[in-house]
Amino acid sequence: MNAVLSIARTTLGEAIRRRVLLVILLIALLLLVIAPGMNGLTARQSQTVLLSLILGVLQLSSAVIAIVLTVYMIPNEVERRTIYTILSKPVLRWQFLLGKYLGAVSALGLMIMLMTGTMIAVFAAFQGPNVETLASLARVAMMYFVQMCLLAAVAIFFSTFVQPVVNFFLSGGVYLVGTVFGSLFATIAESQQLPQLVRLAAQLVMLIVPNFGQYNVQNSVINSGAQIVGEGIYYTNLAVYGIVYISILLLGAMLIFDRREV
Amino acid sequence: MSLAIETIDLVKTYKHRGGASNTVVDNLNLQVESGEIFGFLGPNGAGKTTTIKMLLGIIGQTSGVANVLGREAGDIEIHKRISYLPEKPYYYEYMSGLELVIFYASLFGIRDNDRCKELLRRVNLANDMNRPLSTYSKGMQQRVGLAQSLINNPELLFLDEPTGGLDPIAHIEIRDLILQFREEGKTVFISSHELSDVERICDRVAIINKGQLVAQGRLTDLLAGGRVEVTAEGVSDAVSDSLRHENRIVSFKDGRLILDAPDSDDLNGMIDALRNGGAQVVSVIPRRKRLEDLFIEAVAEDDTAKGRQRGRMTDGNSDGTKSAEVEEVKTGEGDPS
Amino acid sequence: MKWTRQGKLVKAPIYGLMLVLLLVGSFVQMNQTYPFWRKNYMPKVTDLGQLTGEQLLFAFAGFREMIAGILWVRADSFFDNGDYDSILPIIRLVTYLDPKQIDVYATGMWHIAYNFTDQENRADRRNIPIAVAFGEEGARNNDYTYELFYETGWLWYHRIQDNFPMAVTWFEQAAERKDILPARHNLLSHAKLRAGDYKGALKTWYELLEAAEKEMERNKSQRSNYAQRDTVEGNLDNLLIRLTQRGYFARENGWYDQGNYDTKPPFDVRFSASVTVTESRVMLVEGTWNVFPVGTRVRMILRDADYPNAKAAGLDWEGGDANNFTAPAGLTYVQDELFVRNRRFRKAIDLSRDPTIYPFVKDKYILEFYYTPRVAPEHIKDKFGYNGEGMTDSNFLNTEIREGQRVIYWKTEVTRDQILRRGEYGMEGTIPVFKTPNYVAPRVRNPEDDLVSPGTRRVEG
Repeated sequence: MNAVLSIARTTLGEAIRRRVLLVILLIALLLLVIAPGMNGLTARQSQTVLLSLILGVLQLSSAVIAIVLTVYMIPNEVERRTIYTILSKPVLRWQFLLGKYLGAVSALGLMIMLMTGTMIAVFAAFQGPNVETLASLARVAMMYFVQMCLLAAVAIFFSTFVQPVVNFFLSGGVYLVGTVFGSLFATIAESQQLPQLVRLAAQLVMLIVPNFGQYNVQNSVINSGAQIVGEGIYYTNLAVYGIVYISILLLGAMLIFDRREV
Repeated sequence: MSLAIETIDLVKTYKHRGGASNTVVDNLNLQVESGEIFGFLGPNGAGKTTTIKMLLGIIGQTSGVANVLGREAGDIEIHKRISYLPEKPYYYEYMSGLELVIFYASLFGIRDNDRCKELLRRVNLANDMNRPLSTYSKGMQQRVGLAQSLINNPELLFLDEPTGGLDPIAHIEIRDLILQFREEGKTVFISSHELSDVERICDRVAIINKGQLVAQGRLTDLLAGGRVEVTAEGVSDAVSDSLRHENRIVSFKDGRLILDAPDSDDLNGMIDALRNGGAQVVSVIPRRKRLEDLFIEAVAEDDTAKGRQRGRMTDGNSDGTKSAEVEEVKTGEGDPS
Repeated sequence: MKWTRQGKLVKAPIYGLMLVLLLVGSFVQMNQTYPFWRKNYMPKVTDLGQLTGEQLLFAFAGFREMIAGILWVRADSFFDNGDYDSILPIIRLVTYLDPKQIDVYATGMWHIAYNFTDQENRADRRNIPIAVAFGEEGARNNDYTYELFYETGWLWYHRIQDNFPMAVTWFEQAAERKDILPARHNLLSHAKLRAGDYKGALKTWYELLEAAEKEMERNKSQRSNYAQRDTVEGNLDNLLIRLTQRGYFARENGWYDQGNYDTKPPFDVRFSASVTVTESRVMLVEGTWNVFPVGTRVRMILRDADYPNAKAAGLDWEGGDANNFTAPAGLTYVQDELFVRNRRFRKAIDLSRDPTIYPFVKDKYILEFYYTPRVAPEHIKDKFGYNGEGMTDSNFLNTEIREGQRVIYWKTEVTRDQILRRGEYGMEGTIPVFKTPNYVAPRVRNPEDDLVSPGTRRVEG
């Protein structure tokens, strides 16, 4: 376990020294430019739009960071040949993979925290410090974090057997399908127009593809008003679901990576 | 003496999509004795790095046996007793030299920063250990690599092109360090095509070409069979005729006789014969066999004898679809700079 | 169970573990997270078939709120430029992306129902069913708040003015929501009155008075609580007086015939009308209305004979398609209000400048005149009553087209050739004129001679 943590720490250190901080700064600047442009809207509408932008930018950039961070992680190690120095030490391959994943996830967590902090500051500056809204912003960001951990697990799984560029689109595609599929499927099921076989197939895909859409809980924060009962339990369940799927993906990745020639 | 490394009929074949295959290591039989510096030579693409990766257990062999320190290669227990310095590694650049060594130490569960500093001092990086690696020269990077490879006080070190691309001073520094390792009783396995370094420090060498072993043995044995050149003036025809012999070349240049003979011949007898015949011996120059000669001899012979028929790569890979494995092999072989 | 062999993972137990985890994950998803998410967070799309691929993708993907937000900021600039046509698709897309944006729904409904007018500021009423359907969709997607129920009710109450029971239904639904502002309840009572349910209106005022007094007791420092109580009380008093003077309580108790009420005897409005097609798509509408006080508007409608969902003097106003914001092409529906001055009305209507709103592609048209006191000002209702009890017309009184109401109604058929002055109506001296049999041209045709009388009442304050 020592080795896993050491690798995780190194990965984290490397990730945060990349130019990601610059990206966060850019995002903050972007929001600062956009935010005053909403004067024409009503107070409620401008809050809605600002929140939707803040959370959208947060989610979009987190997803891009999650994918970019992970798809190059193992190929980079191979290219720099550092993987050989590590694997010639008493480190098992699954430990290496797990360490890399944990490092990526900690980096993601840190970045999401920083971005959320920036956005909360921007929001508070333009809309006044509303504790309740700020708290819900943080809550949504936390669900994004779980979502991005899941996405990182998808990307690291693919990175054990496909090239980074392919992986970028593959993971992005899985993210899109995983986001869209839940609602699409529900709508298909409701419309009752499709044959049973199609619906069964859809159900099967839903079983296998992790449902990213479930983590998009921003709507009730953006359009404040609709009170949702039992969100706490839901968030816990989402975390459980995330951990379970992450474990499945990591186990699969370990199996493949264990037998892969690097 | 026990064997630190032993391979028996070791084979590595990469299969491609399309059914073609590519044998990178072909029935390799190596014996490396404990406590020696072993040179593993071969041109680029001969299969050196692939062999090392198999010995480290990073990749598996197609067939044959690879034993390291008495156990099967890849055994995680072995990893505690060996270390590996890859060819031109690029370390995590944001780290300082010390952080890098501490990181590698932690992979062994070693939490001893003093030891890490000591190792850096040993490779002459005492003053630079807190600078980020991105500011290190190639020689410094190689030395920090050596420092990390010593963290577990290994019995067996694998060094892949340890002096590749270094300036002459850095060469000497690395060479001296390797010689020190032998004095400490470590076995050093050097893969290289820098023949002068190998010739200076190795006890035994093996030469492979296109995956096959072409020579293996003590350096002194392999380099046996040098020649001697004797130059003399005023040599009579009778004397020169008496010196003609199998394996000897007798020629005249500017009135001087040049006698080129194997050094195994009786040099004193030849000089006596010249002097007794009234000739004046001008010079006696022994011409020792160089590793370079041996290498070129071995590789060239191999190429002409059977190279073309076997081929390193069986045809069928000309459609441009390279598999990932082929890419990896190419990476491993590195560039010759 | 052995997980590793010689530093390598063993496949079988890991496959087993993965399978178990997959089952656990599916269980959590199917039984816990997914139903909850679907109930509370899932974007609802009403009609899948109407969406294009990209719209579908956007509507279902993440970031949909962000895209909606960006689009809405963009739409705002179009409002500034008056580029109303560009706003419609944005409103539609934004509400697909985020059906919880109630402000966009409200703005969209108002925009569709009020902002599209012809050159003479007549509304393109073909759009109103779309606005209604859009409001219904918004209310359905946001049934936790009163807002869109209220807004949809407002459309029926103020824009349509033809089916007040619908307004009542929507205002009632708004009133059921806890977040409704106290003052917004008042409109329910007004709507009930216009729907002809004076008892219901009274009941509502009493309930509102009770509620307002309670609220005032509960929070004495809130100034608006006093204002609301006073408003409700004033409205209730007024209604009681009016109902008494106009004889409603008497009628209920059976002594209407004995008493002297304002609505007795019914007053003959002596309606007559004439429509002259002076040029292609241009007509002069003239007529008489024997009511001197200011405040009468006679409705005139010219529409396709087979206009969908048409009824006497109006449309059904429901059944619009909220997925398609374009007004139905090829249909013609003109509605105007003719203002009465000096007991006459006279208006030139030029439809030639709006060929897209008034395409006149059908062969047959219906021309209608209509009056109901329901939407009349109070000083006119004082005489006519809520249902026209105090109003009559020797020729055009109608008690059938609107149940329980006495209204004035006349209709005639018109052809395309007549409106466009084509065919036999294209020649000199063949000017089409449609008039009630009792229409007599005024002796003096100069409108400048008309007297304009000031209102009989002065409003203080």
